[in-house]
Amino acid sequence: MAENRHMIELRDLHKSFGSNEILKGVNLDVNRSEVVVIIGPSGSGKSTLLRCVNYLEVPTSGTVTIDGETITPQVNINTIRAEVGMVFQHFNLFPHMTVLRNITLAQERVRRKSKEEAEETARQLLKQVGLSEKADAYPDQLSGGQQQRVAIARALAMKPKIMLFDEPTSALDPEMVNEVLDVMRELAESGMTMLCVTHEMGFARQVADRVLFVDGGGILEQGTPDEVFNHAKEQRTKEFLSKIL
Amino acid sequence: MALNKRRGRRPPENNNNKMSFDISLVLSSLPLLGMGALVTIEITAVAVSMGVMIGLFVGIAELSRYGWLRVPAKVYVDFIRGTPLLVQIFIIYFALPVVIGARIDPFVAAVTACSINSGAYVAEIFRSGIQSIDRGQSEAGRSLGMTWSQTMVNIVIPQAFRRIIPQLGNEFIAMLKDSSLVSVIGFEELTRKGQLIIASTYGSLEIWTTVAIIYLIMTLSISRFVAYLEKKFNGKGKKVQ
Repeated sequence: MAENRHMIELRDLHKSFGSNEILKGVNLDVNRSEVVVIIGPSGSGKSTLLRCVNYLEVPTSGTVTIDGETITPQVNINTIRAEVGMVFQHFNLFPHMTVLRNITLAQERVRRKSKEEAEETARQLLKQVGLSEKADAYPDQLSGGQQQRVAIARALAMKPKIMLFDEPTSALDPEMVNEVLDVMRELAESGMTMLCVTHEMGFARQVADRVLFVDGGGILEQGTPDEVFNHAKEQRTKEFLSKIL
Repeated sequence: MALNKRRGRRPPENNNNKMSFDISLVLSSLPLLGMGALVTIEITAVAVSMGVMIGLFVGIAELSRYGWLRVPAKVYVDFIRGTPLLVQIFIIYFALPVVIGARIDPFVAAVTACSINSGAYVAEIFRSGIQSIDRGQSEAGRSLGMTWSQTMVNIVIPQAFRRIIPQLGNEFIAMLKDSSLVSVIGFEELTRKGQLIIASTYGSLEIWTTVAIIYLIMTLSISRFVAYLEKKFNGKGKKVQ
């Protein structure tokens, strides 16, 4: 049954850049509606892990399965990517397009929606992220926090099954972090399957169903936020947490 | 230039009148020179338009991960940029007919040589323009499920294009000036028209000065137009990070 199927399954995932092995055999299952937060020191491979899920990085070996469909060279990667939204550290909005166009473009090109339909969806999502009045603005007229909320709306417009967040608040001024986290929190409550790389431990504690500590190219420890933050078993996890908490 | 000397004004017979500048010669030559200028604009416009099309494809090919696209593109660009346009014109007008066994019309030869030449320079402009767009832009497009070509057409190329407007303008100006080289195959653009008028009037001073001013008016107009385009595009949206 579809109900029992994992949304994301990673099996023995390896990724090397030249002779530098970043991921050393990662296995991970993420359930439907589960919110998984990935923490770990920089260079530990957590962003690479996230980027392998939608094949922005092609794994050196191992498999990625999204909602039952394993990615192989025969599978059209674009149809899978359309089901997996991604939010980037630096927003990556399209600067030559209005906010509205940023959100409608892929709906029209990938989902083959009509302009009217795409705009309706876009306006609805802008309302959801609290930016209704910014539809006709260009990205450079928005603050960082607003841009990131638009980026989330852009990803949601594809009606994805999974959302990936790659340090979504790291490039933001401190006072803008919460407006983005609030949107993510609502999304989690709505039942979205989420995989987030973040340094926001407050968010992880509050929202995550599971926290993964990644170091040295693998998942070193995982558990509920309480287990990882308060009762870490691994020395490296404790050291990392003592530095950031 | 050698041509200048050969066709230069003969020594004035009247020595009292060393520095005469015959303004009426200028005025009477203007219609012919104007026609030549139109031909210069025509050949430049065609060459740069073709060059932009060739350059877009070659520039993208240069960035391809497929060697069978990348290598020929690189060879083409290197060959064209590494040899003089004058020699390229000779190859197309004089050498190619030997191979294909048919004479080539001067206009076709001129336009072909200039287009192929321009294409190589524009290819480099596009290549660097595309490379200057942050990788996050194409990643964002691909992460939404858009194909490589959808991402290029909708996201990368429009941004690259805005960024390279000044360089394309320079290429247009350079081509306009270099198109004077096709005068050597007898193609009657502005420079050739000037030579022909001098051949019958000996008015080197008047005609070459006028020809230079006409080129200057054309190049200045282009740079003004490019500046306007730049402003127009950068006002809307943004000047791409």
